[in-house]
Amino acid sequence: MIELENLAKSYGDVHAVRDVSFAVPAGTVCALLGHNGAGKTSIVKVLATLARPTSGRALVAGYDTVRQAVQVRRSIGVTGQDAALDLRLTGRENLVLFGRLRGLRRAAARRRADELIDLFDMGHAADRPIMTYSGGMRRRIDIAAALVVAPQVLFLDEPTTGLDPRSRRDVWDLVAGLAAQNVTVLLTTQYLDEADVLSDSIVILDHGRVVASGTADELKRLVGTSVCQVTPRHAADLPRVAAALAGFPDVEVDHDNGTVTVPAADDLRVLGEVFRRLESLGIGVLDVSLRKPSLDEVFLHLTHLSATPPAVAV
Amino acid sequence: MTGLLPLTARVVVGGVRDRELFIALLLPVVLYAGFIFVLRDVIDTGGMSYAQYVLPAVLVQATMVGTVNTLDRAAAEERSGFAFRLATLPIATATPLLARMLYCLLRGALALLVTVAVAYAFGFRLTGGLWGGVGFVALTLLLTLVLSLAADAAGTWRCHSNDAGQFLLLPQLLLVMLSTGMAPVSAFPDWAQPFVRHQPVSRITDALRGLATGDVDTGAVAAGLAWCLPLLVLFGAVALRLQGRQR
Repeated sequence: MIELENLAKSYGDVHAVRDVSFAVPAGTVCALLGHNGAGKTSIVKVLATLARPTSGRALVAGYDTVRQAVQVRRSIGVTGQDAALDLRLTGRENLVLFGRLRGLRRAAARRRADELIDLFDMGHAADRPIMTYSGGMRRRIDIAAALVVAPQVLFLDEPTTGLDPRSRRDVWDLVAGLAAQNVTVLLTTQYLDEADVLSDSIVILDHGRVVASGTADELKRLVGTSVCQVTPRHAADLPRVAAALAGFPDVEVDHDNGTVTVPAADDLRVLGEVFRRLESLGIGVLDVSLRKPSLDEVFLHLTHLSATPPAVAV
Repeated sequence: MTGLLPLTARVVVGGVRDRELFIALLLPVVLYAGFIFVLRDVIDTGGMSYAQYVLPAVLVQATMVGTVNTLDRAAAEERSGFAFRLATLPIATATPLLARMLYCLLRGALALLVTVAVAYAFGFRLTGGLWGGVGFVALTLLLTLVLSLAADAAGTWRCHSNDAGQFLLLPQLLLVMLSTGMAPVSAFPDWAQPFVRHQPVSRITDALRGLATGDVDTGAVAAGLAWCLPLLVLFGAVALRLQGRQR
């Protein structure tokens, strides 16, 4: 549904996107993950027909974003980083406006606006100017405006940036609901948890390049296996814990965090063994946990790696 | 043209809600009354009343003040991401610009109507017949369009500058003050007269004054059109180009 082939975009000497290729299958959610300036918005601009690629090409809903821009625009919905609405109009008026701009007749645009207001649970605020809305409410109307005519492909550029945790949750639920309706979603985010929760696939960008792509689980596996982490009550007990766990292949003592970790490839057996050995020590333990590497670790690991080319791919 | 009507309606609604339209209608009336009270006994306009004489300059000046708003609107649109979103919709590239220009023309036409109505109470008369009246309205709106396109282009281009509008207003207002729209050329010092006589605001207000009375100064009308039409094409092309997608 979305395909990028060796896409590059430069602004003068600034290479915002360099040789990026990936594909997003229909009805799935893909997260473009990266820091500010990694090239996320530049990619969305090319895909949304707002920028011409310097080289390579992109297909959206089967159409070339340069040669068939008109068809692409008929197939997509876009929300930008800041809510792109008319602040003086009410939420309802904005939705009707975008319906009309997508070619709906007045009556149809009004009906659709009513539906979306119900769907997004905005009835209490629909007839107030957007100017009076909170950030989370603006974002909801903004996303609703991209859905007035159900798009095949939806671009969400940092949909939760600047939102409070509750509003973030709401947007997440929304996006999950869209995927269920077979809308293909490409979202950009700086938040790993967001990419983890929402997306079927993740593309990690750094300095305009893809440094890794795959599912969240695949990416986590890149960094390593799960670990079992022990946190004794007193940091002074760290050496005793480490001694007790001697014999595991790779015991790591982290004095800063007061933890000892051992790899736990076949989780349960390792966990059982760790418990047994700790029991015999008879010391206070705050926490014993089994955890996968976080996406944070994946991200740091990969973006450090990318200082040295080339990319790791899954 | 898909979207032209709803987009124009949107700008009009916005203009009404933030009272911009109201101020745009009030401004020329206040300017006109002010000029007359202060200047009617100071400036010698020969056989013509100052109420008759100064109206074109008031219309030109009000149009110029309106450009500040036009510029700000274009800049805000570009900054806010609204233009970004419009560009992703299946509508023609020129539509949002056209909608803003239609609003400017509507605002100009309403201001013209209100001002002329008030001016009648002060003794102003349109005595140039049908064609004189049509020419009067057409030239005023042509100037409105030219200045609005320039303001829109400037706003889109310098969308992060907060004072571009005020800055551009200064030379415009100087042109009005140093024009035959305010006083006959003989009222200006000798050294300024060649400039005052030929600068565009003088020529356009001369033309409007002639069209209003029926004593048409064809040289001034030709000069007014010679200023407006090429600038219309130039500013139109620039404004349209700045709306361009896929840069």
